[in-house]
Amino acid sequence: MNFTVDTAAESYAEVKGAGRLNMVSAAKLREVVSDVVAGGSNHVVINMAEMDFMDSSGLGALIGCLKIARQAGGDLRIANVQSQVKMVLELTNMNRVLTPYDNVEAAFADV
Amino acid sequence: MVHAHSRRRALIVEDNKDIRDLLVQIVTAQGFTAFEAETGAEGLELVQAGAMNLITLDLNLPDMDGIEVCRKVRELSDAYVLMITARVDEIDRLNGLETGADDYISKPFSPRELQARISALFRRPRSPEPEAASGAQEREHAAEVQRSLLPGAAVLLDGYEIGGGCRPARNVGGDFFDWNATEEGLQLTVADAMGKGMGAALIAATVRAVLRTSIKHTDLDTAFNAAGGILEKDLEQAGSFATVFHARLNADCGTMGYVDAGHGLAMHVHDGGLSRLSSGGPPVGAVPGAVWTSGSIVLAPGDAMVVVSDGLLDAFDSVEAAMAAVAAVVDAREKAQDASDAILELAHGEGITDDVTAVVVRRSPVVGGLAPGPDR
Repeated sequence: MNFTVDTAAESYAEVKGAGRLNMVSAAKLREVVSDVVAGGSNHVVINMAEMDFMDSSGLGALIGCLKIARQAGGDLRIANVQSQVKMVLELTNMNRVLTPYDNVEAAFADV
Repeated sequence: MVHAHSRRRALIVEDNKDIRDLLVQIVTAQGFTAFEAETGAEGLELVQAGAMNLITLDLNLPDMDGIEVCRKVRELSDAYVLMITARVDEIDRLNGLETGADDYISKPFSPRELQARISALFRRPRSPEPEAASGAQEREHAAEVQRSLLPGAAVLLDGYEIGGGCRPARNVGGDFFDWNATEEGLQLTVADAMGKGMGAALIAATVRAVLRTSIKHTDLDTAFNAAGGILEKDLEQAGSFATVFHARLNADCGTMGYVDAGHGLAMHVHDGGLSRLSSGGPPVGAVPGAVWTSGSIVLAPGDAMVVVSDGLLDAFDSVEAAMAAVAAVVDAREKAQDASDAILELAHGEGITDDVTAVVVRRSPVVGGLAPGPDR
């Protein structure tokens, strides 16, 4: 999976990818998000519109990215979450920490 | 998520279209459903996506070294890997490497030779060949150790029966279950560590050990939160987490206290059908400073508590469908071990790539108006 970063918005950086968030792509996502945070954007939205699958390694990456953003004084949120990903978040009770937002703009509407 | 393929699946990783087409033709003629990838990255995505039985791998790919791709494949799959190289002299070098490949063939190859090689691969049982011997032996040994950590015999508990099984997708895995007798009845754990393979297995073993010793706390909430606190630090350092279901049965009254830490796949099978057990918090290691709360159910005579791992979900359209199928299987079987075996069978499709675990605790039904055991 290749990730693209969009920093056009003022209050957050958007990270977007397409495909399966698994062991292979998880490491990449961590790298991308830590680069984004290191670059000064500590509010990150992962646009998951085109990520139709996530396994435990993928969830591990989201958790890792959340820690990176929070350690930098920011936050990481997820938007456009697809059904299988939503199921994993609900099963693991992680939807309380990684709350799915309806769209990218809504994710940091409160900031 | 539905995989209902009865045909064997072959993945062709090759950037040259002509050769790829030829390979597809050959494996299709041998009864495989063929999947194609032009790059190593694409190939790995497909390996992760669906259980392959055979992978042909070009050594010279545009994006990655074929050897590296092969090593990564081995972390994900047990498929037979046939490496294809343009240079005969490469084969000597490859033989000396621990790539995890099962066989090598050099271009140009004749379709007949390739067919013969593939048939030969599938004739021999899945076993480590010399080129991967030491790594494979080590994995095999690790798998033995992991198996030895599973509860050997069922806990003998009057009025109850317990059965369980674990099928790692590869040699070693992140799934495990454990149970042991306590003064009141028994203690039970089902957990799934993030990821796959050896790293996940190491985490699983740690979780098992810490939860085993948590019995020293009489209160379940205290016990689990203390264990979770200890594990959190280890898991944090490893950048990992584990979903854990942990329960304690009081055999006299049938009360099962439990903590579901992000596992989400435990249920109470009773007269009226099934009730899923509630979540008590996030997976262990996922959220710093997490607090878990316990819940409880009462097993009436004939009732069962069933815990499965998420690998089972691969065979179903939805969590609800999977849970209903599990409950039906448990309902239809008297013995807990039979029920657990039958649950693993539900996940026997070729598309299953994850570890699958099932544990069943059943309170014996009332016979002739007397519940055996609890009133002893």
